[in-house]
Amino acid sequence: MKKLSVIGALVLLVLLLAKCQKAAQISADRYDERLSGGDATVFDITSHSFGNMFPGLSGYDAEVHSLGDAAFNKIFVTAPAPINPGLGTIFNNNSCISCHHNDGIGLPTAGESNSSLLVRISIPGTDEHGGPLAAPGYGLQLQDKAVFGKTPECKVNIAYNDVIYNFPDGEAYALRTPTYTLTNLYTALSAGYMLSPRLAPPMYGLGLLEAIPESTIVAMADPNDANGDGIKGHANYVWDVATQSRKLGRFGWKANTASLLTQVAAAYNQDIGITNNIFPVENSFGQSQYDGLKDDPELADSTLNAVRFYAATLAVPARRDVTDATNKRGELLFKQGKCESCHRQTLTTGINVAFKPLSNQVIHPYTDMLVHDMGPGLADNRPDFLANGQEWRTAPLWGLGLFEKVNYPGYYLHDGRARSITEAIMWHGGEAESSKVFFSTLSKVDRDAMLSFLKSL
Amino acid sequence: MKNTLLGLSCAAILALSSCGKDNNPGGTQTTAVDEQEVITQFVSVVGNPNYVDIQAKATLLNTSITTFLATPTDANLTAARVAWKNTRQPWEQAEGFLFGPVEDENYDPTMDSWPLNRTDVDALIGSSDVITLSYVDGLDGFSKGFHGIEYIIFGPGGTRKAADITARQKDYLKFTSQSLLNTTTALMNSWAASGDNYAAKITTAGNGSTAFKTRKELFTTIVTQMAGICEEVGTGKMAEPFTERDSTKDESSYSHNTTTDFINNIQGVLNVYTATYNGTKGTTSLSALVASKNLALDTKIKTQIQTALSSMALITPTFEKAIYDNRDKISNSQTALATLQATLEGDLTTFIQTNIKD
Repeated sequence: MKKLSVIGALVLLVLLLAKCQKAAQISADRYDERLSGGDATVFDITSHSFGNMFPGLSGYDAEVHSLGDAAFNKIFVTAPAPINPGLGTIFNNNSCISCHHNDGIGLPTAGESNSSLLVRISIPGTDEHGGPLAAPGYGLQLQDKAVFGKTPECKVNIAYNDVIYNFPDGEAYALRTPTYTLTNLYTALSAGYMLSPRLAPPMYGLGLLEAIPESTIVAMADPNDANGDGIKGHANYVWDVATQSRKLGRFGWKANTASLLTQVAAAYNQDIGITNNIFPVENSFGQSQYDGLKDDPELADSTLNAVRFYAATLAVPARRDVTDATNKRGELLFKQGKCESCHRQTLTTGINVAFKPLSNQVIHPYTDMLVHDMGPGLADNRPDFLANGQEWRTAPLWGLGLFEKVNYPGYYLHDGRARSITEAIMWHGGEAESSKVFFSTLSKVDRDAMLSFLKSL
Repeated sequence: MKNTLLGLSCAAILALSSCGKDNNPGGTQTTAVDEQEVITQFVSVVGNPNYVDIQAKATLLNTSITTFLATPTDANLTAARVAWKNTRQPWEQAEGFLFGPVEDENYDPTMDSWPLNRTDVDALIGSSDVITLSYVDGLDGFSKGFHGIEYIIFGPGGTRKAADITARQKDYLKFTSQSLLNTTTALMNSWAASGDNYAAKITTAGNGSTAFKTRKELFTTIVTQMAGICEEVGTGKMAEPFTERDSTKDESSYSHNTTTDFINNIQGVLNVYTATYNGTKGTTSLSALVASKNLALDTKIKTQIQTALSSMALITPTFEKAIYDNRDKISNSQTALATLQATLEGDLTTFIQTNIKD
């Protein structure tokens, strides 16, 4: 029934559009700047705007999406239990939704029940696949919570140092520099360890990002700056556990994960302590917190696949106010500032005959999916496959203006240090230094126009 | 979340408005209902009083638990159970408008996480940890809140006797109740004019509010939440225990209050729609606004809410038992909730998009 009404609405929409006789509005290349996710765009500006299913999924697909949605919300508890057992024994949070509030970006705190920040750890060197080297006794991620009777690996302490700066025209802004320290270590930690804090990223549009052809992404790379524009993006190639192969990294703040399936499976294992077929070994294996229960894998394949499908089919919120004169001005400045060298507005997903909703979509993600040197200010100084300690993946900007609505008051960047879009811009350095300077030297009116444009995304 | 229709209807509206013509559908519209007054009535008749009520009931619950702890008789235990259900009622009704601080400040998971982490609760009660208020405050939501209290005072199967409750369980009960009361107080204050005054962010929607740039945005949020709780009850809370035929997967299974919880959730939708709370009816409402322009739609929504409520009332004797031997009543309720949800996401959302201009 739902499907029929959707088709009905689509027909109506087409009729209405046709009636307007403005065929030029959707041109032959299907470019429409409002439709950030192509056909997978929703018009929703509420706090739940990141949690919508792709429009027009088949009844079967909608059912799988809903099952994944339900699993995404499930709170795990300590085994044994009749419902959702298997939490931990060490973990960062007890459900997907506890970090990804409203399917959005989370809160930059650690160890609280609504915390969305986790900290990766490694020691110098690389593993057999070129990835980070696990810290003995700790692995590659710090689990700062534990079920009753077990000891968390550590407590993560976050301190901020706020410094006030001024734009050339005198307007003030503040940047807060975080410092991360570990206390309550459960066992000795190797000297020379490296930390990388990571905030839970928003969930929408991930299927579309996965569907961008590798050739498209690689074609945007310019690692030796052959064109002399100062931008040297390159692809991250990583080890994909699900397929046991080396692949283009797409997900995570440093593009260190190749596929949504691996991303979801790793999050279950590392963040919640739920073993699955791709990561069947408890995150505490070999440590004193290990439960020794013969209950692995704790997650059914069907559930894992449903959650992967859920993540792949969350629609992108549409842009607002695209014809607003201020936003138009801001968009022009965004281009003049060469922000678009990395935050690429328009990409097209590959042909996918098996799953049409992701196939051949003109999308506006504002990313090139490449990693770039962002300067020492943002650096975690922890290499992750081919991304060095100063490199980060270009964060997609679609939906940016809704962060403050979905996750009030809204936090930005890989560790949530930025409390506004202005702060996020002013943290840019490295390859983005000149774009940052461009922004900061604009008049107040033009800076506001650019922010207004970014908030319309 | 399924807002496909919402998205498409918005697209249709954009298409319409891009025609640049006056698309007033005409008809005999009356403009008797003031949108601002609808908003004010929602806040003053439903929003604020509902949160005040939760806090008042949680105070009574805490008092009855204090009485039980001092004099642990079966009669006092029964009184505490009644007080728990009485607190549950306004809380479940308030889930009809689950936005604002209840969401942003994490009050919902702090009070009402489910499932309870029973293994951990048993372990901490069995440990030598000193249980204090700050100790309970520091626990994750799934080890305290409504269901932590429910677990102690009703017990598995709902058959616990006063004499069965141990000293350690009493310690846990005492501070879990206090912690819940404190959270309900914080929730109440988050809306109160004397507190953080979130209510003002609602009443100034489209008029300087930092939360809602336009009234349309506020109304859309309200309707989205009304639809959201229908989905949560019908395809969330009911579906898993029903499909898997497993009553241990019910939310309030210790107290057998599951069906009542569901009914109160949908009562919350009716409260919001008609601006009614606990017998007090607002001078105007979203319902009146709809009726003034589309009487048939208003009737349809009210009828579908009533159908959902009465279909759930037939889920007897308890949801836990009905899963096994009264299944058609549950599936009828699911159908009624899905129908209501579709109307809210479809017709009512289109109505808001079309008629709320600013």
